Amino acid sequence: MIEAAQLRKEYHMGDSVVHALAGVDLRIQPGEFVSITGASGSGKSTLMHILGCLDRPTSGIVRVAGETVSALNDKQLARIRNQHIGFVFQTFNLINRTTAFDNVLVPLVYTRRAFAKKAARDALERVGLGKRSKHRPSEMSGGECQRVAIARAIVNKPRLILADEPTGNLDTRTGEQIMQIFHELHADGITILVVTHEMDVAVQAQRMIHMKDGNIVEDTAVDDHRREQILTQAHDVHTRAFRQKAAAKAILPAAARVPEVGGWPTSFGGGGGDDRGHDAERESSSPPGPKDLGYPAEVDPVRE
Amino acid sequence: MFHLQILLMAFRGLKQNLVRSLLATLGVIIGVGAVVSAVSILEGAQRNILDRFESLGADQVLIFNGSDRKSHRQVQTSSLLPKDSDLIAEENKDIIVAAAPQYSGAGQVKFYEKNAFATILGATESYAPMYQYKVAQGRFLTREDVRGNAMVAVLGYKVANEIFGALPSVGKTVKINGKSFILIGVMEEKGAYGFIELDSQVIIPLSTAMGRMFGQRYLNMLVVQCTSAARVPACIERVKKTLRASHQISAGDDDDFIVFTQDQFKQQLGQVALIFGVVLYSIAGISIIVGAIGIMNIMLVSVTERTREIGVRIAVGARRFDILKQFLAEASIISMFGGALGIVFGWAISNLLSELTQVLETYTPPIIIALALLMAIMVGIVSGIYPAIRASRLDPVQALRYE
Ligand SMILES: Nc1ncnc2c1ncn2[C@@H]1O[C@H](COP(=O)(O)OP(=O)(O)OP(=O)(O)O)[C@@H](O)[C@H]1O
Ligand SMILES: [Mg+2]
Repeated sequence: MIEAAQLRKEYHMGDSVVHALAGVDLRIQPGEFVSITGASGSGKSTLMHILGCLDRPTSGIVRVAGETVSALNDKQLARIRNQHIGFVFQTFNLINRTTAFDNVLVPLVYTRRAFAKKAARDALERVGLGKRSKHRPSEMSGGECQRVAIARAIVNKPRLILADEPTGNLDTRTGEQIMQIFHELHADGITILVVTHEMDVAVQAQRMIHMKDGNIVEDTAVDDHRREQILTQAHDVHTRAFRQKAAAKAILPAAARVPEVGGWPTSFGGGGGDDRGHDAERESSSPPGPKDLGYPAEVDPVRE
Repeated sequence: MFHLQILLMAFRGLKQNLVRSLLATLGVIIGVGAVVSAVSILEGAQRNILDRFESLGADQVLIFNGSDRKSHRQVQTSSLLPKDSDLIAEENKDIIVAAAPQYSGAGQVKFYEKNAFATILGATESYAPMYQYKVAQGRFLTREDVRGNAMVAVLGYKVANEIFGALPSVGKTVKINGKSFILIGVMEEKGAYGFIELDSQVIIPLSTAMGRMFGQRYLNMLVVQCTSAARVPACIERVKKTLRASHQISAGDDDDFIVFTQDQFKQQLGQVALIFGVVLYSIAGISIIVGAIGIMNIMLVSVTERTREIGVRIAVGARRFDILKQFLAEASIISMFGGALGIVFGWAISNLLSELTQVLETYTPPIIIALALLMAIMVGIVSGIYPAIRASRLDPVQALRYE
């Protein structure tokens, strides 16, 4: 479904160069459900945009749905986005002045397909909003808006869904419902890529990718056992992080402070690429501080 | 090229910002309105006023009181006497068929409790033949009526109709401005002559009008019938010579009368129309430029406001050309909307003008409506092209990040 080799994306800011992607190699088979995590600025969205044919890499090769992206012109890329890819965004990105139905219809406007209305209606049914098609985004909850956005993403029956923090603006329960829809779509054979900051979301994938500074530093298959392990660990880390923060604010006695923190990336480094694993290990074993918490630091314990 | 979905989409977008779109399109409304009213007025003038002057006859010369040139010397404003008319006719028999002196004023015609307002025209027996104006009943004025200051009157078609309807009127006595006149005839229906509505006139002997009716020394107008249109210039020379002699104007001094021909009228009218046209078309041009800028501005605002929407559209498969089309369609729809309002506005203005002035008759040719709409669409496309290009060139990744 996706093949990327030595993907680089550089942004030139005056004299300095930002390496949003610093040579990413990635292969995703059709039907996979992959989650991508990583600190803010690690290049997750950049990668999604390139894989989604919205952006072009500075260098490297991308193949999506059997097409070599760099060989295609804008018009052909638009067709691929329209036919094969569905985007879901953190902020829903619905058109506020029109109804749910019209929002779902948008991709079809560029498809010029017969029975467009039926397709849009079906897609809304699929996400359980068949009865809300006449509502505007302002009349719907966040979860419903995101479901409309998913309906829009699937209306053209794409083979690939790229979701950039789809649950980021939703509470845990609603996020869970959204993930449920992704699971169903996955069961139908759609390849799914979800960027997330939430461990609970990330572990639902079959495969977890962790990014850091424009590189993939972890790439692990997840089975039930591992899922359990990770969640427990994450929970531990949360607790520790919480204690640590609390201690910093002197809520807890100093004795309760946790001196060492082990983040998720280090805890099961066996997965992909030893080098990267070691890198990560080295970094996270450096003296602790609030900034060095690794992955869990991004998770706000209070939110859960 | 523009398929329905995109047009519908554009239309829905605009409904949302109706007031704003209306304001943006004000220039187009005024511009198109000015064009439509300009064309309506000019076309109306063409069809109507020029037509009327056609009825003046190319072989006639009209003479008025007054001075043609700007002179430092005070010129007597009234100078034409009834005897000038006789002199002109008698002295130039070879080239002039007849001269019809006229004096007219306003008046009221009464027959018992019926009454009508009319133009009271003092004329001579030469009046009716000059215009091929025929009596329907009774007879026209005779030389004797004029010589004898007779208290007789001939009614125009409308006046007769208003007072007598289908009843016989010849022989009846009516009061005109309080004085009794015997009706000797009713004229046929004739319509307009120049600016004069013939059917609303009551014709009485010139001598009676200038004497007992209005107490005036000078004529309003003198119409001279030349033997042919080709001889009008020669005719004018003779008229001038006779009148200058009669008015004792010394060589080198200006005329104290003005000579007009159908040609001159047409030219003058053409000039008025031209000035009118230039003014209106300038207003139209400026307004449309303002309108175009207004639409461009509103479209730029719209593009900025909808940056994210554009990003989403590209993400779900819109080609850049699709985005371009959408914004062009929107600009054209706004502009066309303004154009439609402008047409109504222009039509209303021109009708109001013709209503107020009474003289100005307007005519709005259907083709101008189509042209005005077309023009509005063009304005939309021209002013929408830059914003639309901006929209279509947006980087989708940046657009999706846009707050
Ligand atoms: N247009 C740009 N110009 C300059 N730098 C950019 C631009 N877009 C992205 N970057 C940089 O590229 C890096 C990767 O950004 P990206 O948005 O992919 O991160 P991310 O992993 O999605 O972060 P987040 O979790 O906050 O969404 C960041 O350092 C960012 O500052
Ligand atoms: Mg991001």
